[in-house]
Amino acid sequence: MNAWELFWRNTGTVLRNAFLAPPYLWFLAIVPIIVLLYLLKLRRTQVVIASTLLWMKTLEDLTANAPFQRLRKNLLLLLQIIIALLIAFALARPFIKTQGAAGQNLCVLIDRSASMQTREGEQTRLDLAKQQAVEMVNAMQRGDKMMVLSFAENSDVLCELTEDRSRLRGAIASIEPSDTATRLRDAFFVAHSLRLTVADLHAVVISDGNIHDLAEIGPREFGQSREVADQSTEARSRGYDLSFLQVGSTNNNVGITEFSKREPVPGASGEQQALVAVQNAGAEMSAVTVTLSFNDQPLAVEGVEIAPGETRELVFAHPELGEGILKAVLDSDDALMVDNTAWLSLRPAAKLRVLLVAQPDATGTYFLQRVLAPDPRVELSTIAPVNYTPTAGYDLTVFYDHAPDALPEGTLLFIKALPPIEGLVSEGTIENPPVVAVDAEHPLMRFNLNPANVGIQSAVKAVLPEGSRPVVSTTGGALIADVSRGGQQIVWIAFDLTDSDWPLNLSFPLFFQNVLAWAPRSALASESSVDAGRPITLIGQSDVAAAVITRPDGTQETVPLDPLRPVFYSNTQQAGVYTAQLGDNTERFAVNLLDPAESAVAPSDALAIGRGDFEAERGNVRQNREYWRALLVVALCVLALEWLVFSRRAWM
Amino acid sequence: MTTETPSLLSAEFLQRLDRLALIARKTQIGGMKGERRSKRKGSSVEFADYRDYVQGDDLRHVDWNIYARLESLYLKLFQEQEDLTVHLLIDSSRSMAFGEPSKIDLATKLAAAIGYIGLVGYDRVSAESFADGTTHRLQPCRGRANAAKLLSFMSAIQPDGRTALEASTKSYSLRNRAKGVAVLFSDFLDPEGFDGCLRRLQQTGSDCYAIHVLSRDEIDPPVAGDLRLLDSEFAVHVEVSASPGLIKRYKHNLEGFCESIRKQCLSRGIGYIFAPSDESFERLTLDVLRRGGMLR
Repeated sequence: MNAWELFWRNTGTVLRNAFLAPPYLWFLAIVPIIVLLYLLKLRRTQVVIASTLLWMKTLEDLTANAPFQRLRKNLLLLLQIIIALLIAFALARPFIKTQGAAGQNLCVLIDRSASMQTREGEQTRLDLAKQQAVEMVNAMQRGDKMMVLSFAENSDVLCELTEDRSRLRGAIASIEPSDTATRLRDAFFVAHSLRLTVADLHAVVISDGNIHDLAEIGPREFGQSREVADQSTEARSRGYDLSFLQVGSTNNNVGITEFSKREPVPGASGEQQALVAVQNAGAEMSAVTVTLSFNDQPLAVEGVEIAPGETRELVFAHPELGEGILKAVLDSDDALMVDNTAWLSLRPAAKLRVLLVAQPDATGTYFLQRVLAPDPRVELSTIAPVNYTPTAGYDLTVFYDHAPDALPEGTLLFIKALPPIEGLVSEGTIENPPVVAVDAEHPLMRFNLNPANVGIQSAVKAVLPEGSRPVVSTTGGALIADVSRGGQQIVWIAFDLTDSDWPLNLSFPLFFQNVLAWAPRSALASESSVDAGRPITLIGQSDVAAAVITRPDGTQETVPLDPLRPVFYSNTQQAGVYTAQLGDNTERFAVNLLDPAESAVAPSDALAIGRGDFEAERGNVRQNREYWRALLVVALCVLALEWLVFSRRAWM
Repeated sequence: MTTETPSLLSAEFLQRLDRLALIARKTQIGGMKGERRSKRKGSSVEFADYRDYVQGDDLRHVDWNIYARLESLYLKLFQEQEDLTVHLLIDSSRSMAFGEPSKIDLATKLAAAIGYIGLVGYDRVSAESFADGTTHRLQPCRGRANAAKLLSFMSAIQPDGRTALEASTKSYSLRNRAKGVAVLFSDFLDPEGFDGCLRRLQQTGSDCYAIHVLSRDEIDPPVAGDLRLLDSEFAVHVEVSASPGLIKRYKHNLEGFCESIRKQCLSRGIGYIFAPSDESFERLTLDVLRRGGMLR
């Protein structure tokens, strides 16, 4: 790098530290133009008078009496240059870093994620963050407003923009720690939306900086509103008005970042395995002990030494355990305790009750029975359409070439026959329809299922109701469509199995595996652990109206159930074992943090949002206080003075 | 600029001037018989004094009644009446052409009026317009019959050349020894100053008046904006940016300038009369000059 490049680089750094929009300093080029115009303007009008005797004497007096005569002679030029300088500097948005946050509308976003439970001395990071927020409330002056949001997996507006300090203090005090990961995007979106209507809104993020979704914050994520997206683009280009107040300093933590089990091969006897991954996020070698227990009965203990920054995986082999809670405990006295324990809920493989409503002697029925009956999870019953009456208690009902008058409970699969759904209307048939599109994102299309090479002779052409999702499409309609209604899963296949070679294709059994896995009960059976903050699925029963949820801290909550569709319980901010009492049945759910990023508690020094890096500030909020308005006011005053001088020449 | 009208003064105004007369504050020796009291003793009917008879005296002037009583010869002296010379000195430099009406216009009218009054009063009137290098003279004349000549001379004066007050006054005083009433019309805007001019005027021994003519533009300059002011007589200029402060200071200087001329005149026994060029000529003649002690 030569000296010239170094000079430009240093100049750029200096300007960026003083101005938010340094490119506007090019406006300074107006100054020489003003000087030029002034020189052109000063062509004096020539007037012949009788005698200059008295004028000479007058000017001599003035020169003698005015030591700054030269200056005064060019007063207008000076004033105009000053005005141009002031406007140029105002356009470049100069700022100074000021302590405190008084004099503005503040939006305080407080991190309450799992990493904020890290102990810093006698207090947690969340305590420190709340103290900082309260100090900011105390520093508020008359007319200042503040709003408080907390964010973890979800965001909550705890107090809208207000001057009421007691409400703000109450809102800050009400923030409870959460055992979830950190997601700023929603809170940022709220703050950003508010910024469109509230002038001078300054956002302050109080956090340890362990935020995982910063890359998602950008115009596309705000894409519903073009205005919001534009604003965000502008914010990215000129820097967002945001401060990052960092709390915490320690990085001493060892935590469980993965806890899972491996199922034995169905039908084979053998040991099961549990995998525990332990991460050392600290800066020193750590020796820890991992204890595995089942229903509080110890199964195994293993010690391990982990180098700084490394993750060790421990595999525990254990016999078939049956239903219960498998627990892994890390014996480590580190800064963050919530990741030292992990749970898994072990359940026996659920039996799926499947009812096939079809003519027993039909060819398609044969294919369906051959694909469903061998599955060990399935209890298959077949009934002829004439004998069928809607019956509760089936997880999956397959209607082959027959549709009932009303939809029964559970997951439904209609083949050829149109389900009785409003808006689903047949429009004739499509001959030899080719497969032209597959929705690979749909759960029914798992295992990279691609029925593209399936030959179909004829299919029903139908108008899908609003909200439906074509899974496999042909030209002019859907071949397989997800027409779920109100949470009830319904699939419609538009062609007869015997009119195609699909039953002979590999994609046929895979598709039905996916249909079985899609049913809520099987999904539940595979769900041994839920990430904290994510919902747990409760499957209703016809004779149980509500489930009583007991949370890890012992508090209980009653959740009404719906026999037709699963209910999601989302108040899972706390890691641990949740017990759901569903009539006589008891379901237990394991909720875990299991987040390597949260366990790595070392505070971050900057938040990279968009293109801007917001450096961490400690102790007190240091914010960019812009003073371009003051410059403009001064420029206006100088302009008025310039006008006065021009019109009266009072200084002369 | 002069208005070259044959009738510089209207006939009606001339009739009004007929009733006026020049006042000579000093008694001077005239050149010819006239209607003014002279320092000389002469042959008027007004008794003046007695003196002893000396050989050669005209016996017709011996007072025989005194001789009968005192047996001594005394001569009876009578007051002599002579004419008065009116000197009209008009500054015709280029600067006198300015103003609306011009300064030279007012100066020539005033000079014509005073000259006319002098002619009517059987005084000898001579006039001279002067600038640097150019001089026009009106030879001394007297009597109403020369009024047209006087007016014609005044009408013909064209301002030109630079101001040279002292040199012109000196030249005139050397050429015209006759004492009387000397009236100088000028704007006194001479870079050389006005002291020498007034001194020369005083040295003529005449009864002197200085009529200071300035235009309205000089008294209250209508300047605005950034100007380069060019001198009409000299190759100099000044650059000014007009402002109230500048105008105020100019007026202050102008007041000082006029005041210094007035004081100089006072100290030299010269009558000073200030005459703005836009002032009514009739009012100046009939009122200001009368109150200034020049006319009655």
